[in-house]
Amino acid sequence: MIDERELVKHPIVQDSVQHNARTVSNIRALTASLFGVAAGTLGLESFPGFIFYFLGTAVVSLLIFTLKADSKPEAYFYHPVGDLWAGDMFGGLMSFVLTWTLLYGLCKA
Amino acid sequence: MAAIATAINVLGVLFLSHAAYEHSLLTSASTSLPPTHSLLPASLDPKITLPLDITLETLFSVLLLCAGMVLSSADLKPIQWRVWAGTLEASQEAREVKEVGVGGGNPYQALEERAGFWDVRGVGKATRGWMDGGGDKKGKGRA
Repeated sequence: MIDERELVKHPIVQDSVQHNARTVSNIRALTASLFGVAAGTLGLESFPGFIFYFLGTAVVSLLIFTLKADSKPEAYFYHPVGDLWAGDMFGGLMSFVLTWTLLYGLCKA
Repeated sequence: MAAIATAINVLGVLFLSHAAYEHSLLTSASTSLPPTHSLLPASLDPKITLPLDITLETLFSVLLLCAGMVLSSADLKPIQWRVWAGTLEASQEAREVKEVGVGGGNPYQALEERAGFWDVRGVGKATRGWMDGGGDKKGKGRA
């Protein structure tokens, strides 16, 4: 396997991979609830709300790329495209919908 | 860095709560029917025109909070083994102990030098050959 030979030549520290995955997942979960609060305050409904969430997740990925990964994602993530940019979009969706409906009910009603 | 991140977080929370508060005051303040937007279909019509300052304040506070959350989170650790081993060798404990034999310096010294696989007889033979004259000390010995 090409992948295993690459790992023998340039080994990877598994502990760091897990730590980075945990940190990014934590950030995504927190910012998902935050985007729900914003969507509820803005009074967004159905499609614009979900589009706001996916846009916000892209913004958070960009922030992690510039602030935390020092613009070198391959030094911190084994598969940068899968982990950093397109990673775990639907994990925070439930938190987003929860805070979205909460704030929408608070502000509109 | 932690102080800046905390300050950004606090500011963001302040602005966000202020925006939500202003929004909740809206329905009590105005009772007129808002105009329907002609560009959107009826199902997507927001049905209320939000003042521009609340929208801007919400978006600005969300950006602030995102930046603050990312800044205040834990640092990412490099995943390449050689970078990790390099930081280990350069760490404070490794640099403090000077003598190699006492166990300081490179923590992987025993693996890299492999005293058990050292060819003692070969090196001894080469040294004797050099002492007797001729040849260089670094002649290859036999295992």
